[in-house]
Amino acid sequence: MSLRLGAMLPEVFRHLFKRPATVLYPFEKNTVPARLRGRPVMDPDKCIGCRMCERDCPAEAIEVTQESETRTDDGKVKRRFSMVVYVDRCAHCGQCEEICPAKPDKAIKLNEFFEEAAFDRGALKIVYK
Amino acid sequence: MSETFVLPVGPQHPALKEPTSFRFKVDGEYIVDADLRLGYNHRGMEKGCEARTYVQDIYLLERVCGICSNAHMTCFAQGVERLMGIEPPPRGVFIRCLMGELERIHSHLLWLGVAGHEIGFDTFFMYTWRDREVVMDLLEMVSGNRVNYGMQTFGGVRRDLDGMQIKTLLEGIAALKARTPYYLNLGATEPTMVARIAGVGKLPREKAIELTAAGPTTRASGVDFDVRKDDPYAGFGDLIPFTIVTDNGCDVLARVVVRAKEMMASYDIMEFILRNLPAGEVRTKAPRKVPEGETVSRVEAQRGELIHYIRANGTDKPDRVKVRAPTLANWPSTLYMLRGAYLADIPIIMAAIDPCLSCTDRMAVISDVRGGEKVWDWETLRQYGIEFHRRRGIRP
Repeated sequence: MSLRLGAMLPEVFRHLFKRPATVLYPFEKNTVPARLRGRPVMDPDKCIGCRMCERDCPAEAIEVTQESETRTDDGKVKRRFSMVVYVDRCAHCGQCEEICPAKPDKAIKLNEFFEEAAFDRGALKIVYK
Repeated sequence: MSETFVLPVGPQHPALKEPTSFRFKVDGEYIVDADLRLGYNHRGMEKGCEARTYVQDIYLLERVCGICSNAHMTCFAQGVERLMGIEPPPRGVFIRCLMGELERIHSHLLWLGVAGHEIGFDTFFMYTWRDREVVMDLLEMVSGNRVNYGMQTFGGVRRDLDGMQIKTLLEGIAALKARTPYYLNLGATEPTMVARIAGVGKLPREKAIELTAAGPTTRASGVDFDVRKDDPYAGFGDLIPFTIVTDNGCDVLARVVVRAKEMMASYDIMEFILRNLPAGEVRTKAPRKVPEGETVSRVEAQRGELIHYIRANGTDKPDRVKVRAPTLANWPSTLYMLRGAYLADIPIIMAAIDPCLSCTDRMAVISDVRGGEKVWDWETLRQYGIEFHRRRGIRP
């Protein structure tokens, strides 16, 4: 291949008439992808208390505790669980959502929230009751 | 008579993006001798793996490196799969290969930009990084996130592709395929760029073999070594056809050319995968406990041959995990290339191997010879880290 002086120039001039490739975040925001693994959100009504998410979480960011145990009229035991998610530790891998065996709907899901920065670490401890 | 003196570079230096330490013996502008000290970057990941279950380890090892996260994940997953005695279904294998190639594209485009930046060609850096966003968007669409895709798991991949995504992927690949020859031409014909990289960092073929260089560095010295061909994994070997790119230039220019041509080869691989994607499941069920045994898993990461050694003891936690990153294999040849070079060529020679110290570096515990060997468990190591930072006034 022979050397070509100014091989760059046509491309450079073309860029004079192009829109910027960047977005002025945080004033403008791109849409997040549908599959984004954001913040884990737990629904206590659906949780069956198997603690699979707690056991599998690579960042040890999930704590599941039993809140109450009530006996219904027909003799069935109904337990209610609460969950603490330490979002500052969360690695957003989505293993908790994947492993959750609750049916028909999973009790823990990752939403589309991604702007996790906070001034106070306490604000990143989220309790679902 | 010439006078030499020793110039220390690092472990903290503006020209280094990660901590490592060099001792250059210089005679004016010439480097007479180069020496390297490793061990400034310790994260306790191998030890951390022993304290966690396999499922947790796969996400921990993904975070060894931000650029080749998928390669680490694939390497660990396929090693553990071999110990478990399970095979991913064909569709899972194809998507696994697709992720590897997408990651190769993003890494090579990133590297081209960094190489441009290191030689003061920032326009090149801006253009490649802008086009890199195309592949980043594709990765984001498939996996959900821009880095740490979390796609691989034991027994296959975690997410499937639908028809719409396959269409978008093919469009994105076509756009990149049209764009890459421009970078190849620019790298090989633009006089200012060629003057800066041709003949710099010479690594002859025999030396590349002797010093066990890996990946594009060795292929740019005319050695056609590629794990995908020499030790086929996933779908490579018989299912997915591909070509190995080599160049006989043996210098930084050849490494630019090899990487640019490798991207063209990757586009072909991805198009083949997307056009011939088998139907069916993407993963099989994997057991939680791994039978006793040991294995070595190899993957051709973007930077070269990546090796994971895994020893299982029959429980749900590994006995030992060892990561050999491609950068470690490339250090001896880098030192060879630096000898006899100009001082001003240090950044580009080092950048040409695409070094990643977060992958490579390990801690060295230097204890009293009479004290014998020191073995630390995970908890001791963690406490040491916390105490280390507390002494420096950093709240853990």
